Amino acid sequence: MEEKKAVPSFDKLIVASSPHIRAAETVDRLMWQVIIALIPAAAVSVYFFGIRSLVLMLVGVASAVLTEALVQKALKKEITIADGSAALTGLLLAFNVPANAPWWMVAVGAAFAIAVVKQTFGGLGANFVNPALAARAFMLAAWPQHMTGRFPVPLDSITAATPLAILKGTATGTLPSYLDLFIGNVGGVLGETSALALLVGGAYLIWQKVIDWRTPAGFIGTVALLTWIFGGKGGLFTGDPLYHVLAGGLILGAFFMATDYVTSPITPKGRLIFGIGCGFITVLIRLWGGYPEGVSYSILLMNLVVPFLDRWTLPRVYGVTRARA
Amino acid sequence: MELRTFVGGVHPAPSKERTAGSPIQAAPLPRRVVIPLAQGGAPCDPLVNKGDAVLVGQKIGESKAFVSAPVHASISGKVVGIETCLLPTGREAPAVIIEGDGTDTWIDSTGRKLEELSPESLKALIREAGLVGMGGAMFPTHVKVSPPPGKSFDSVIINGAECEPFLTCDQRLMVEEPEKIILGLKAWLKVTGAKRGYIGIENNKPEAISALKRAAADEKDIEVVPLRTKYPQGSEKQLIKAILGREVPSGGLPVDAGALVQNVGTTYALATALETGRPLVERVVTVTGTPVKNPQNLRVRIGTLVSDLLSYCGVEGEVGKIISGGPMMGIALPTADVPVIKGTSGILLLTIEEATTLPERACIRCGRCVDACPIGLIPTFLDQFCRKEMWDLAEDYHVQDCIECGSCAYVCPSKRHLVPALRLGKAEVLARRRRK
Amino acid sequence: MNMLRTFYNGIVPENPTLRLVIGMCPVLAVTTAVVNSVWMGLAVIFVLTASNILISLLRKFIPDKIRIPCFIVVIATFTTIADLVLAAVQPDVHKILGVFVPLIVVNCIILGRAEAFASKNPVHLALADGVGMGIGFTLAIMILASIREILGNGSWFGIRFMPAGFEPATVMILPPGAFVSLGFLLGTMNLITARLAARNSRSTERVPSHAADAGLEG
Repeated sequence: MEEKKAVPSFDKLIVASSPHIRAAETVDRLMWQVIIALIPAAAVSVYFFGIRSLVLMLVGVASAVLTEALVQKALKKEITIADGSAALTGLLLAFNVPANAPWWMVAVGAAFAIAVVKQTFGGLGANFVNPALAARAFMLAAWPQHMTGRFPVPLDSITAATPLAILKGTATGTLPSYLDLFIGNVGGVLGETSALALLVGGAYLIWQKVIDWRTPAGFIGTVALLTWIFGGKGGLFTGDPLYHVLAGGLILGAFFMATDYVTSPITPKGRLIFGIGCGFITVLIRLWGGYPEGVSYSILLMNLVVPFLDRWTLPRVYGVTRARA
Repeated sequence: MELRTFVGGVHPAPSKERTAGSPIQAAPLPRRVVIPLAQGGAPCDPLVNKGDAVLVGQKIGESKAFVSAPVHASISGKVVGIETCLLPTGREAPAVIIEGDGTDTWIDSTGRKLEELSPESLKALIREAGLVGMGGAMFPTHVKVSPPPGKSFDSVIINGAECEPFLTCDQRLMVEEPEKIILGLKAWLKVTGAKRGYIGIENNKPEAISALKRAAADEKDIEVVPLRTKYPQGSEKQLIKAILGREVPSGGLPVDAGALVQNVGTTYALATALETGRPLVERVVTVTGTPVKNPQNLRVRIGTLVSDLLSYCGVEGEVGKIISGGPMMGIALPTADVPVIKGTSGILLLTIEEATTLPERACIRCGRCVDACPIGLIPTFLDQFCRKEMWDLAEDYHVQDCIECGSCAYVCPSKRHLVPALRLGKAEVLARRRRK
Repeated sequence: MNMLRTFYNGIVPENPTLRLVIGMCPVLAVTTAVVNSVWMGLAVIFVLTASNILISLLRKFIPDKIRIPCFIVVIATFTTIADLVLAAVQPDVHKILGVFVPLIVVNCIILGRAEAFASKNPVHLALADGVGMGIGFTLAIMILASIREILGNGSWFGIRFMPAGFEPATVMILPPGAFVSLGFLLGTMNLITARLAARNSRSTERVPSHAADAGLEG
């Protein structure tokens, strides 16, 4: 070559272990992907329940993020609010309250989720139950008057019993049609009503490979199967599985709560069993338990057995034939 | 057609387009070479002294140990010293330094016909030619083809997967020299007594597949097997699983599955040694990466300094990493003043931006590493066990079966440094087993 | 070892509830209201002090092999007195505390102090230990009960003082509330003792220790 040889600069060489290339995926991107997937459901909620719904979501997110920052500052840890995990928890928590819930309850609930359920156990990756669901259980026990009973009806100022409560017979009212259930034109907590919007978000997450299909498939499949077999008043196999799948928080829970990485099994087989277990407990509560809805408690209960599921579903190791210890 | 492959693995961007189409060129004859005396097995004793004149192909180091391969002069000239030098593996070893006379005078040598050679004399030829595994492991080949008592090979697999991104040296050899690869494979079959020969190639190298299929058209015992493009397809264990459907038992060797896996470069070197009688003194090296101006596949004399290769290919901008080998399993070099050795398949340069990794975060248990692990381990659990020095648990969870392919760390969204942690755990568990 | 130090020992350094974490049953059960916790605390102070004194007095006469039954007889006597007195003076509180007053008999704190302290120390120290441990216990459950009553009922000592808009979190007077607040209380106590220990070690650092130096060289 005729040009003068440039002296290569080798004084900033980094010596680190292989691999030297990394996939582009980051924790932050994964969390924000889930938030993006929740936008359709949030939009539908604002459309049906009005500006009040938006206020509650913003309060939940703000409280969760603020709490995370304050706790991390107090504990002299790195502040990681930009990773979106606190915002996601706040949003999911707001999705779990009815539109007429007081804003302060959402704020306290989100703070509880972050400060008590997440940070006291070591922050992101270390909590053993889903923070949003544990905070929902906390709110349900703390202020049951705001978390149960009659919920606001879409596009109206009146309240009504939820479809599942009517189905169970603990409340009276007319059951909404399948179509209303599907698009979300029913009473319920903010995020659960529109099956359509949630399915769009869930499909997006599966397409983007953010979540594993096994958990929601196992969860929803089990609920459908068991409610079909046992859900009917006229004997076995007379239940209405479609209604049980569309009503209540099943789709929200199956796609967005049960798939929470930190609190679900790490092995593919484990995730399938986890989903089936969630579905089983949900049906137990819905058909024979004290509450009309059992999705959140089923997920919380299954969260507790995740370490066992992990250990029982270890993948087969290459070249190892004997049973594992 | 259902392509054969293995369970797990990842899909890093192949990044081979800059060199995949460039034919192998001879690098300029180096004026000075640094030939380490330990390239495969036990270190050799030098056979030359300072001031001696040497010819190309002259043996300059040999060891009495069985597990050791001799080394040869790669240029003709004068030995100017025997000094300790840094190897691309990160270790230090004595090396013979030769100042070239520019004439490139070879020793006298004659080729042999494969048909005339007995398996035993073939094995001797392999050792004399200084053959080692040229994929990077540099295990002496004559040892590898000698099965332990009571075991035997029934299949030989040529590893043409070249699953490491950026590297194209094997691919070019297969495209340009398919007859020699087939000749080499026939020699492997002869020396081991194995019945079937396979050439496993990832299906993103159609040229190589068709070239070899053409060359092997008349060979009944040789089959070219297209494989799904997936990292680490070129790992011995994964290749055996994909092609033969067998598994190497945990803690065992490929011979326990009846298979001998040979690198394309080694096979080519064997064919060269057969045809010309010349030992292994050069190899094909892919020099590539964003900062390299003219990335290419070069035929390089062993002992050429990496800095010489880089100034030949041209480097622009600041370099963040110099990697010996591919980006997934290669070794980051602290300096460019190291020689190319028999196991150097590529020199990969990364810019500072490419070489800078994001900070490590807490594991979020997403399970990507579990899906990626080709062995079926739970890398994140092992990472925790190894960092907390819980060696019993690490052993229970099979840390010693890790092949350090880096698939788990590649996919990790938390950018955890899984490979060094597991490597430490492997070493500790094996040390503890030896102590028992 | 003097009486004052023994007394203080039960309140902070070896607080039975927050440092030794023993006798957890009443701590979780009776802390739904501050009033209940005060009466429970008084009953424990009485039983603990009285049994400590008596056991200390009898320590030379109790045969070693049957000391536990002897302790239990003493403790049971005073517990019965406390139970009957409480039933007479505060029948309402007695009804709320229910089984937890008789259960003082098997409370770890009391048997533990009898075994670990009263049976080995003279009577004046046993008295100081009993009062100190009792007050330590009472303070701990009063703090816990205050947190739970204020958050869970909006009141303190039964007096509702939070603004009308405040909706108490029922969960705090339910069992989960007890566990969560106890956890935070224990954490805070650990933080305080860690700080105290750090301060103490700093103050001792100023004194050069030749013994330690010699140890290092040896």
